[in-house]
Amino acid sequence: MELVIQYLFVGLVLIGGAMAALSRHVLYNIIGLGISLFGLACLFLQLGSPFVAAMQLLIYLGGITVAIVFAMMLSVAMTLDPLTRTPVKTGFAGVAVLIFGLGVYGLITSTTFATAPLAASEAWAVGRIGSALLEHYNLVFETLSVVLLLAIIGAILIARSEREGGESA
Amino acid sequence: MSLESLLLLSLVLFCLGLFAALSHRNLIAVLIGIELMMNAASLNLMAFNRFSVTDPTTGQVFVLIIIGLAAAEVAIFLSIILNLYRTHRTIDAEELTELHG
Repeated sequence: MELVIQYLFVGLVLIGGAMAALSRHVLYNIIGLGISLFGLACLFLQLGSPFVAAMQLLIYLGGITVAIVFAMMLSVAMTLDPLTRTPVKTGFAGVAVLIFGLGVYGLITSTTFATAPLAASEAWAVGRIGSALLEHYNLVFETLSVVLLLAIIGAILIARSEREGGESA
Repeated sequence: MSLESLLLLSLVLFCLGLFAALSHRNLIAVLIGIELMMNAASLNLMAFNRFSVTDPTTGQVFVLIIIGLAAAEVAIFLSIILNLYRTHRTIDAEELTELHG
């Protein structure tokens, strides 16, 4: 039963990824991304981290995917008729991905990874993440908050300045 | 699920994202490819965090930071896309050749 559920999650991730990579219509790409992100959140839950799974659902599915849908709706003329990909471009992309994939596959299969015993369940508690963020990783945490603030201000500036220019012109 | 199968899954996801980022012409679809690649990296970190680390806090904090950085990146990318659409009336990667050498 557990194995079936795991295969279901893996299937969600792969089907969503294939939809996002292969479909020509942007809306199907976004839906595929959403399916793939949902499957990944389920896998994170399976890997013992409910907090990261919840953040994946909240930020990625609830925030980023919806933001991409907004951007798609604001550039709707481009999405009504999907752009055709030239076979040359697709072919070169396919060859590049194939070379990369085979190389990394060789690396994965030829490496023996060190394994550690599964940590005790209290080590997986959400409180541990909170105290790690505020103690050991405090600098990273603060830097990330500054980066997010700068990103918000930068996004507002980039999206705003052109409108003012358009009005004066 | 073993560590190797999770690594292979994340490799397939990364390859799909790389293909999307290289082959799509719509900039939004390119962004989606980049997101897929970042998620493959997250899955890798979570797999190693589960199977080969004694303190599982590190990997989870790492993945949270990746998610936060992805949010910042998407905000900037989307505002650039909107600006491009306003000034050039296109978000086709092959028509935006102003900086082309």
